[in-house]
Amino acid sequence: MLQVDKINVYYEKIHAIKDVSFEVNPGEVVALIGANGAGKTTTLHTITGLIRPESGAITYTEEGASLDLAKMPPHKLVSKGLAHVPEGRRIFLQMTVLENLEMGAFSKGKVSKEDLDNVFARFPRLEERKKQVAGTLSGGEQQMLAMGRALMSHPKLLMLDEPSMGLSPILVEQIFDIIAELHKSGTTILLVEQNAEMALQIADRAYVLESGRVVMTGTGAELAASEEIRKAYLGG
Amino acid sequence: MSFVNNLINGISLGSVYAIIALGYTMVYGIAKMLNFAHGDIIMVGAYICFFICSGFGMSPILGILAAVLVCTLLGILIEQFAYKPLRQVTSLAVLITAIGVSYFLQNAAQLMWSSNPRIFPAIFGNGGIQLGGDLLVPYKTLVTIAACLVIMAGLILFTGKTRTGKAMRACSEDKDAAQLMGINVNATISLTFAIGSALAAIAGVLLCSAYPKLIPTTGSMPGIKAFTAAVFGGIGSIPGAFLGGILLGVIEIFSSAYLSTELANAIVFLVLIVILLVKPTGLLGKKVSEKV
Repeated sequence: MLQVDKINVYYEKIHAIKDVSFEVNPGEVVALIGANGAGKTTTLHTITGLIRPESGAITYTEEGASLDLAKMPPHKLVSKGLAHVPEGRRIFLQMTVLENLEMGAFSKGKVSKEDLDNVFARFPRLEERKKQVAGTLSGGEQQMLAMGRALMSHPKLLMLDEPSMGLSPILVEQIFDIIAELHKSGTTILLVEQNAEMALQIADRAYVLESGRVVMTGTGAELAASEEIRKAYLGG
Repeated sequence: MSFVNNLINGISLGSVYAIIALGYTMVYGIAKMLNFAHGDIIMVGAYICFFICSGFGMSPILGILAAVLVCTLLGILIEQFAYKPLRQVTSLAVLITAIGVSYFLQNAAQLMWSSNPRIFPAIFGNGGIQLGGDLLVPYKTLVTIAACLVIMAGLILFTGKTRTGKAMRACSEDKDAAQLMGINVNATISLTFAIGSALAAIAGVLLCSAYPKLIPTTGSMPGIKAFTAAVFGGIGSIPGAFLGGILLGVIEIFSSAYLSTELANAIVFLVLIVILLVKPTGLLGKKVSEKV
């Protein structure tokens, strides 16, 4: 579904992503794990076109058609079924919850009542607060809004960047439960996480990034059992 | 002149400032830049209307429409050629460029139309409505105030209720996130410049109806005052631009009527300084606290 082939990304002179390759197959949950600054977010931004790679290819295959994402303007991705929940949520803080969700459906043209109901069924909190300005929501609610907003576009591939960041352990559990549910209902997920333990639990496969390189890959269970990963990311 | 008369004149002048300030504030809100050429678009609009009405003797409605059309295109062109290539550089460079565009427009106008003052025709007629006693409210004043109210209400509805208007607000908050929603940020910025410049054209016609002397620098002082009004009301806020504009106009007229004509401008800017010292975000400026 998504094929990232030897991409190299630079910030001015800094070589941030070095020959990174990975793939996401339909129906999978794939995790990119690694420490702060390993290049996880940069990789996602390169996929969505907010940053352009110096070399390498990013191919997204959807309903038989292959798209070269490295050349596509970012605003065209969402209508192709690719949604990106960015790091730090990036919801529109001065707009209401409802308006944020409407923006999520921007590519659809019209907001369908059914889509809204689906999001509200998944996140009842959002319905209670739909008239509220998003800036007044708590951190957990904001994360739910960010995910709900992405779901409004009916993504086939949902990319989540650090959905657990800054949340209490209970909320982290909740968010991961929702990710698992989304997976069950057929959404392919690319998950970027610093919380390797949680990520490896739900990931079919995972890639470990270190200073801009993929240093390890395997199934979630294999990596969770690996000595090196335990030492580096799982606290012993 | 009676107090009521001064008040009406103040509101009328303030309405012109408000219409200009609305353009300033919208462009600032989306493009995060101060378009110092905004005032000169007013001048271009006034000249276009002048030539259509006085030069070709056509109807004022045609004159206003032509002014709006030309200024809208001009606004889009300026954005495309002068500002868009600078999207990724420091805001200081964009600011300097805007000042450059402002001088360019003034000098181009001087070259094409000379610096001889033109007398703008009374396109709204010389009459007015008698409101008891000696109080005559000219039609141009009524049109100005009404235009300002309609424009502000229209913009509030547009940004609050329509899909495109909401997308505009999304862009003003977070361009990357807006792109991820599928919003074409470049097109949205162009649209904002188009709307702002169309408003500038209308403001130009209204301004010159009240103060008929038209020269290539006609727009620069009202432009700066409208910028002041936008900051005064809270830059980025539509009701703020309206309130700031009206207050500024009233303060200016009252200062020149009761204090000193020479000092009226100084007083206007003094008020701005005081407001910013007390409330740096302006009267209706928003300050949203961010939760982490």
